[in-house]
Amino acid sequence: MAEPMLQLKGVHKRYGQLEVLKGVDLDVAKGEVICILGPSGSGKSTLLRCVNLLEPPEQGEIFLEGKDICKGPGSGTGESSWNLDFVRQRVGMVFQQFNLFPHKSVLENVTLAPQKVLGKSKREAEEKGRALLERVGLGDRLSQYPETLSGGQQQRVAIARALAMEPHVMLFDEVTSALDPELVKEVLDTMRELAEEGMTMLVVTHEIGFAREVGDQVVFMDGGVVVEQGDPKAVLDHPKEERTQKFLGLVLER
Amino acid sequence: MKVFFEQYFDFHIMGEHFGEGFEAFLQNVLIFVVAGVIALIWGLVLALLRQAPGKKFAPVRFLTIAYIDVLRAIPLLIIILMISGGVPFLTFIPKDIRIPEWLGKPDPFWYGVAGLVFVYGAYTAEVYRAGIEAVPKGQMEAARSLGMSHFQAMRLVIVPQGVTKIPAPMLNELISLLKDTTLVSVIAFGESVLVSREILAEQLNSSALTLTAAFFLVICLPGARLVDYLIKRNQGKISRGAHIEVA
Repeated sequence: MAEPMLQLKGVHKRYGQLEVLKGVDLDVAKGEVICILGPSGSGKSTLLRCVNLLEPPEQGEIFLEGKDICKGPGSGTGESSWNLDFVRQRVGMVFQQFNLFPHKSVLENVTLAPQKVLGKSKREAEEKGRALLERVGLGDRLSQYPETLSGGQQQRVAIARALAMEPHVMLFDEVTSALDPELVKEVLDTMRELAEEGMTMLVVTHEIGFAREVGDQVVFMDGGVVVEQGDPKAVLDHPKEERTQKFLGLVLER
Repeated sequence: MKVFFEQYFDFHIMGEHFGEGFEAFLQNVLIFVVAGVIALIWGLVLALLRQAPGKKFAPVRFLTIAYIDVLRAIPLLIIILMISGGVPFLTFIPKDIRIPEWLGKPDPFWYGVAGLVFVYGAYTAEVYRAGIEAVPKGQMEAARSLGMSHFQAMRLVIVPQGVTKIPAPMLNELISLLKDTTLVSVIAFGESVLVSREILAEQLNSSALTLTAAFFLVICLPGARLVDYLIKRNQGKISRGAHIEVA
């Protein structure tokens, strides 16, 4: 196998006394979609936040395109440093609560960072922004403000905003959990298209159907460790571990 | 009762000194405008320094918090007296700064402005902080995840949202600042309270002070109403916002 896009080795993260991640190993190949399942408090969101250094891990190694991103002048403090720029320009993130900038229009949300961080011209950023918003089906909403959009539309803008930075890896942190049921599909469809285009994706989700259909691998986490990992059908239909069986039983019962 | 009205509401004295009193009041307004503008900028700088991230900025944060706490805890009058009484003798400071007479204004004007800026910078910093802290944490995370530095995120995302949350408390500070410009009278700057006290001493009558009070009332009373209106409007916004979240 070629060098993995992303590689986690023994990643630990604690908040005071509480150890949220107790040594997580994970390999993600280029173009692979990994769906991470697990009960709340299992550390799956924290894992994503470690990968883009929103919460730098205390221990362990994270290699992004072969580079250890946890080493560097600012590691452990969240300070700006070469690895922070390196990571943030390669890793995009979409959040549960969308976190669109409410004081900016839809188009401005998507063009702000490319202009200010990548130094693109306004024209260049807007051209790209328009194309991306077109792609997520919101080409006619450019001048609207986020509060006038539905949750599903907001989340698609958030995806376009992250894509505008031309990331190599996309992190999705329970991006459909805050949505009304009828709005979930439009967001999942957007993610599915992205996966088909070959984006490397780490998806924390409770959408078992999505994980089964789109995921190349499913990772089940509990108590800060990876309990089980593998082909979606194997993990979801024939889980080996008792904790996975119990969790899936509770989720699929609904 | 007649004595009371003569003492406080002698319209003859008020009329006679109206022009003088009004001009003196304009000096208060001038101090207010100059000190207000600088304090609003200084307060924002302090608020940003207080929020500076990481270990590297820990000493900056500590010094900023110390400044804000100390300046808010000392009576403004003492600060103004210490500046005007002491700074002129600090010979290591260049004379143009130690005894400022910029823009045709005498040095007490600038000592007063300095005292007000030092203290109101600390007050407004706390108001800004409330605004900044009222911006959801996810906004900073989203900005950082898009590659912005902490200060870029502050400037482009957090502060523009934060300031929209604080017009009411900020206006309160400004009303308070306008009233506190009268403290500059103690260092012999010819603003409204100093002038009215001179008239009081001359005529043994307080009506000029009443007139001055009326000037402040005319500005500050609508200001207080405006604060109430802004608070109400803001609450409306919050409940509407909550509704959107649920919808």
